[in-house]
Amino acid sequence: MSINQALNQTENITESEIVAIDFREHTLDNGLRVVMCKFGNIPMAAINITFHIGSKDEDEDKTGLAHLLEHLMFEGSPNIPKGQFDEILAQLGGDSNAYTSRDSTSYFISIPSHHIEHAFWLDSDRINGFGISAESLEIQKDVVLEEKLLYVDNSPYGTVEEESSVRLYYNSGYRWPVIGNMDDLRKVSIKDVKDFFEKYYIPNNAVLSVVGDIDYDETLGYIKKYYGNISAGIPIEKKDYNEKEITEEIREDIFDNINLEGVFMFYRLPAPGTKDYYALNILNGILSEGDSSRFYNEIEYKCELVNEIDTSIYGMEDTSLLGITAIALQGKSLKEIENKIDEILDDVKAGNISDREYTKVRNRIETYFNIKRQSILSLADKFSYLKTFFNDCNKINYEIEDYLSVTKNDVTEAANKYLNKNQRVVLNYLPKK
Amino acid sequence: MSILELEIKKESSDNPEIPDRTKPPKSGTPKDINFPKFFETKTENGITVLVIQDNRLPLVTSRFVFKSGAYLDHSSGENKYGLGSITSELLSKGTLTRTATEIAEEVDYIGASLSSGCNYDATYASTYSLKKYFDNIFEIMSDVILNPSFKEEELDRLKEQRLNSLLSMLDDGDYLSDKIFNKYVYGNSPYAFPLEGEKSSIEKISTDDVRSFYNKIYTPDNLIVAFVGDITPDEALVKLNSNFSKWNSPVKEKGKLIIPELQKSSKVYLTEKRGAVQSSLKIGHLGIRRDNPDFITVNVMNTMLGGYFTSRINKNLREVNGYTYGARSGFGCNKFAGDFSITTEVKTEITSATNIEIIKELNEIRNNFVGDDELQNVKNYISGNFPMQLETPNDIASKAINLKLNDLDDNYYNTYLRKVNEITKEEVKDIAEKYIHADKLTFSIAGNSQALKEEMKQFGDVEIIENV
Repeated sequence: MSINQALNQTENITESEIVAIDFREHTLDNGLRVVMCKFGNIPMAAINITFHIGSKDEDEDKTGLAHLLEHLMFEGSPNIPKGQFDEILAQLGGDSNAYTSRDSTSYFISIPSHHIEHAFWLDSDRINGFGISAESLEIQKDVVLEEKLLYVDNSPYGTVEEESSVRLYYNSGYRWPVIGNMDDLRKVSIKDVKDFFEKYYIPNNAVLSVVGDIDYDETLGYIKKYYGNISAGIPIEKKDYNEKEITEEIREDIFDNINLEGVFMFYRLPAPGTKDYYALNILNGILSEGDSSRFYNEIEYKCELVNEIDTSIYGMEDTSLLGITAIALQGKSLKEIENKIDEILDDVKAGNISDREYTKVRNRIETYFNIKRQSILSLADKFSYLKTFFNDCNKINYEIEDYLSVTKNDVTEAANKYLNKNQRVVLNYLPKK
Repeated sequence: MSILELEIKKESSDNPEIPDRTKPPKSGTPKDINFPKFFETKTENGITVLVIQDNRLPLVTSRFVFKSGAYLDHSSGENKYGLGSITSELLSKGTLTRTATEIAEEVDYIGASLSSGCNYDATYASTYSLKKYFDNIFEIMSDVILNPSFKEEELDRLKEQRLNSLLSMLDDGDYLSDKIFNKYVYGNSPYAFPLEGEKSSIEKISTDDVRSFYNKIYTPDNLIVAFVGDITPDEALVKLNSNFSKWNSPVKEKGKLIIPELQKSSKVYLTEKRGAVQSSLKIGHLGIRRDNPDFITVNVMNTMLGGYFTSRINKNLREVNGYTYGARSGFGCNKFAGDFSITTEVKTEITSATNIEIIKELNEIRNNFVGDDELQNVKNYISGNFPMQLETPNDIASKAINLKLNDLDDNYYNTYLRKVNEITKEEVKDIAEKYIHADKLTFSIAGNSQALKEEMKQFGDVEIIENV
């Protein structure tokens, strides 16, 4: 890095303005980690409880259990009969939802702040004890089967997640999709569900974040009252992440009910929080953010090869992934598109990143960080994420520096390290005959 | 950057009392909810200006809304569907002094965004950026709105892309059922035609069509501009006037109104979706216009019927029967006509069973009073959740724009919750009888049409759609 570059960077860092967010933390005796943040100007509170258990932690013959349990957590608990969780919440003007990822399962509630104690009462009851019936299990299996049909089997390019994962990973639970294998799912018994619940849904495996119109002392008082008596469980031992390198390009043709052909490329990257991860995020901006980005401008606009092109970085606990998606215009060849993508990646790897495009991505990050400071639900989710995976909520205020301290040279080095042809999986999606 | 963090001292006991989990706790005192005040004025050349000021973050959004959209596609002549959306997308693809690439480059460089699009009744363009770059982005936005070049080359590129997108959308069951639903429910009204256009219509659009559409719709007296975020009304007005005060309207031509009619009986339209393992259902009929005085009551009734997670239809189809991942009903209220529909996706084999349950729920809400608790719950849900719709300054702006776009009373949102809470179960039944017609349904189903066609006859005459 030249002195000039270094100077420019320092200037840019001090210029970036993001508003600091104030928060408080507490850990209960049973190990439940609590984050609270008074925020916003509507009389609402957002509550997020995240369990450090996702699909990758499942046994390989019981895939889909984490996500199935997420559905079932709304189906009744010792003091809240089946169907009542959402009903009671709605009566209070609240709403709820949940999601399962490969690494964690999160439940969230929004509620008028004067009813906040109700939310803790409802949520803690389903963690304190098991109240799910075999009947609910069978109904929710059907619901999940329909969810899979909707998003995977009946959806164009819907199988990309499962087709890529099984080729990208060999040893870890990242190799099956979050929704799981439907044959496994059909076999799940109520005992399987209960065992899984008892093992993983323990306060010492959870983070509770509360954001919005709250009083810190009052909120902590409620949390102690409703969650303080839940017994701690046996600490969870995380499996070691141990994947062998991909050293030879893996390619596959997949036939689907589609009109436009598509190419999907995947490169394994290091986990979030590492220096290379941030560098590759800057690269991601250069490649695909905005109409002036390399991929859009070159491949969609100038060469008119694709109907759509995008890249994303999927951060996971132990690894991450760069995915490139390109849907071809009719009559254009996937090979030609792939060559163009490779040409652009090679150019970046050769160190050809202009000052202008580098600054552009940094400016975009500054805007993005500000925009992400508006919603109580998304902040609660962010706090739970940071506490669960980094044990560091302060990142909410300094993470932008992790991105802005990346140099052009870091980007080039990381690209050379991870974005090589022999390290990737390429799926060509072709129309079924 | 100042980071404030306080670690609360661990107290000796975290669990001083054992809570009574069998009973719900008490609630605190509810806080008043008022729709936030915002600044409003009209410029000499007729632009409605709104300012929703909020200095908490250094962000400014500008939102341009023209009060007409793809509804007027037909007024440009035979089969020009897609013209409104093509015109709005072309705005940022070149001005008299900037190429498409230059616009993209300038916008991206300052970490900003500029986007545009339309629906049937309005055309939108908006920017967001950090405050420190607002002058830059607003200058580009002004250029894009006032001086679009509509070059042949850019139109051709966009048409090629659109034709491919249309092809790709045929792979999506929900798109198919939605498109065929609109076609038959809205009959000869412009709402019957897809706003993204059809292959035959897109191919015919010329730069002359685009220019004449632009001249008709993009006029100051048809425009609302909302400034949102870290900007004062004075700053906003100075910006707007310096760029738009000389802009004048040519004569405005109104589109011809074509009011569709309700079908006489139920009918089933089956559209083949290649390799389908599920049926995508959209079932319903004509509904109400946005300015219908029953709008709020209709909404409350619909919320109970299928408007939220614990509604009757979702509870029945998902939570009791496990037929679907989710099911919803809704009234789509356009300016000149509207529709009512239930949408869901189910396995091919349970399509009939699903239809039967849906018809049952429609008859139930028409023929019987809703429960007192059920009505109270839905009122609480709507009222309690309402602040979530006012969370960000852009949320508030959306509501303020909605007031202007639909000529609603300034006090609309302040009286909205009161009106919701005054609704009786008698009114809900009246409204359901008036606006829900279980015997005049259009069943638009995309899926395995061969497997479905025989059994669908129980729901009405069956027509197989060959060309979508």
